[in-house]
Amino acid sequence: MSGPGVPWYLAISAILFSIGVAGVLLRRSPLIVLLSLEIMLNSANLAFVGFSRLFGEMDGQVFALAVMAVAASEVCVGLGLIVAMARRNLALDVDLFTELRG
Amino acid sequence: MTFGSWVCLVAPLAGFLAITLAGTRITRSQAGWISTGSVFVGFAGAVVAFLDAWGRDAEQRVELTTAWTWLKAGEFQVGLELLIDPLSLVMMLVVTGVGGLIILYSNGYMAGDDEERRYFAYMSFFVFSMLLLVQGGNLLLLLVGWGLVGLASYLLIGFHHERPSAVAAAKKAFVINAIGDAIMALGFFLAIAHVGSLDFGAVFGAAESGELSDTVVTLLALGLLGGAVAKSAQIPFHTWLPDAMEGPTPVSALIHAATMVTAGVYLICRTHLVFEAAPDVQHIAAILGLATLLAAGVIALVQWDIKRVIAYSTMSQIGYMFVGAGVGAYGFAMFHLVTHAFFKALLFLAAGIVIHHLQGEQDMRRMGGLRTSMPFTHLTFLVGTLALVGIPPLAGFWSKDAILSSALDQGGALGWILFVGGLLGALLTGMYSLRLYFAVFHGAEYAGRHEGVEAPHVEEHGEGPRSMTVPVGVLAAGSAVAGLLQIPGVWHPFENWLEHTVEPLVHASVGEEWLTSALAVSLGVLGSLLAWRAFTAGRELVPEGAIRRTLEHKLWFDEIYDAAFARPAQAAAVGLRDRFETPVVQGGLDEVAEGTLRGASATSAVQSGLLRTYALAITISVAVLALIFLVVR
Repeated sequence: MSGPGVPWYLAISAILFSIGVAGVLLRRSPLIVLLSLEIMLNSANLAFVGFSRLFGEMDGQVFALAVMAVAASEVCVGLGLIVAMARRNLALDVDLFTELRG
Repeated sequence: MTFGSWVCLVAPLAGFLAITLAGTRITRSQAGWISTGSVFVGFAGAVVAFLDAWGRDAEQRVELTTAWTWLKAGEFQVGLELLIDPLSLVMMLVVTGVGGLIILYSNGYMAGDDEERRYFAYMSFFVFSMLLLVQGGNLLLLLVGWGLVGLASYLLIGFHHERPSAVAAAKKAFVINAIGDAIMALGFFLAIAHVGSLDFGAVFGAAESGELSDTVVTLLALGLLGGAVAKSAQIPFHTWLPDAMEGPTPVSALIHAATMVTAGVYLICRTHLVFEAAPDVQHIAAILGLATLLAAGVIALVQWDIKRVIAYSTMSQIGYMFVGAGVGAYGFAMFHLVTHAFFKALLFLAAGIVIHHLQGEQDMRRMGGLRTSMPFTHLTFLVGTLALVGIPPLAGFWSKDAILSSALDQGGALGWILFVGGLLGALLTGMYSLRLYFAVFHGAEYAGRHEGVEAPHVEEHGEGPRSMTVPVGVLAAGSAVAGLLQIPGVWHPFENWLEHTVEPLVHASVGEEWLTSALAVSLGVLGSLLAWRAFTAGRELVPEGAIRRTLEHKLWFDEIYDAAFARPAQAAAVGLRDRFETPVVQGGLDEVAEGTLRGASATSAVQSGLLRTYALAITISVAVLALIFLVVR
């Protein structure tokens, strides 16, 4: 096959993952945290597909689809939470939600 | 023989349990009758056993009966066994007989007391414990009985628990007894270590045969002597007995005159083989007896409380018994034990009638002239006093002089010192007993010879209920005739009865015995005359001054013990508490608790609730794990 080798895709995946982690740890808005989480999930997807290409097996690609399904449901729940917070006029800041209290 | 003995032992125990378990379901007087009945049933058992033994030959009068094996530790075994032989039979008869009479008397004396049931339960318990002591077939069972009588004594001395003086006296008695018990127990540990058993046969056999080294035997004998001295209130462990008079009078009669305090004498007679293997210790026993005899005799000369005079008299007479046992005249020591039980209990009970009649008055100075208003008590008290002084043909004469003649027969320096000291004691006995008698029964009614003392109140109805006068009468009769069991040169059934069990070391000749008697009686009469002279002249036998002050302070024993033992112990306790327990022990625990709390609060700071902190933690952990996997792989 032509084009860049599989290692390059894995490198991109790693970089994307680090960017995602940095976003989760450093951003205060829950919306941006969710976004970073999506980036991480996508980087994992990329890695799955790259390995699938490397070994010639379809398992990686199939699992990438499964990951996408999970990501979608998780975003629904997460956005639902954020909408609920906004409806109560709470400040959208992860640092403020330190207690498990209604 | 065994059946009678088991009945004798178990009946008072049954009485005690019955009264305790019935509680308030029985009336107070019913408790009294249960207790009296149980002890008399025990007496019947003892009589049955005695008659059985009497019908046998001398060699066959010993029986060892085991209930079951109580304690087993490797090679060492102890059974619940009773030893019934002439010596224990004598004690059984005395304890249940005199005990039964005293408990009968208590029905009248303690009537009306709120806690009568407790009293009678304790009395039955005491009789049971004493029987266990004398019937015990091995040293361990004897020690159990020994401890239980100490407990009973504590409970009964402190019977009037609302009185702080009574409680203090009970504690004092118990502590001093505990010291003796500890010394005895140490001796027993030696016996277990070197002999491997606490059975009488094993220990005595080992002592007799020379198997044990001199040191071990001496230490064992010293252990036994220590226990005996504390229980029998001899110097140096005697300070508890006068204070024990805080208990009710029948308690003083039973425990501190007739039975418990004589347990020491019984012990020495029972373990005489050990003492004979360590003759120095036996001589120490005789010397302690002599010292106590004289010390108690002189202290009694300045006491004002009826009961204290009689208490010191008891101490003195037990000194005589120790002298007897110390020279090896075991039979005579036991004989004096028996006669003493009669007349000392008589004196206490008669004094109790006087105290009861005067509604609690115990000070001699506020009595006087009671011979007209209390003729029966006067007569019986006189009988007891004369028996104590040793006037023939009353009991004390025969027994006391037997001991003195044995001391004379012993010979050597020790024998002579004991003999002369014993005679001096007879003089003192005459002096203090007649002093007491005259002060209470002669002179003007409620003389109050010393200024500023008013006449006490008097009860109007007779001298006392029959439950009180009958036992006193019986004991008076006993004091009069019991001595006739031993007439030197004519017949000695008592000596014969005990001879096989406890062979005496000395045999006084008839001439020695009559000579001693003559001397002792004349000194007793002389003492009585001195007391009579002092009484009629209205003065005291011991004049004011340094000597009198020392005697009033009981030879400063209490003060010395307080300074030498009590205060340092308290100071040590306070010092240890302030310097060790509070900072180190308590402080250590406090530190541990505080440390835990601090650790906990530090750890709880981790749970901040900040989402990003948790995420960071996860990230770092994953990174570390990945690194580890890479390195290890």
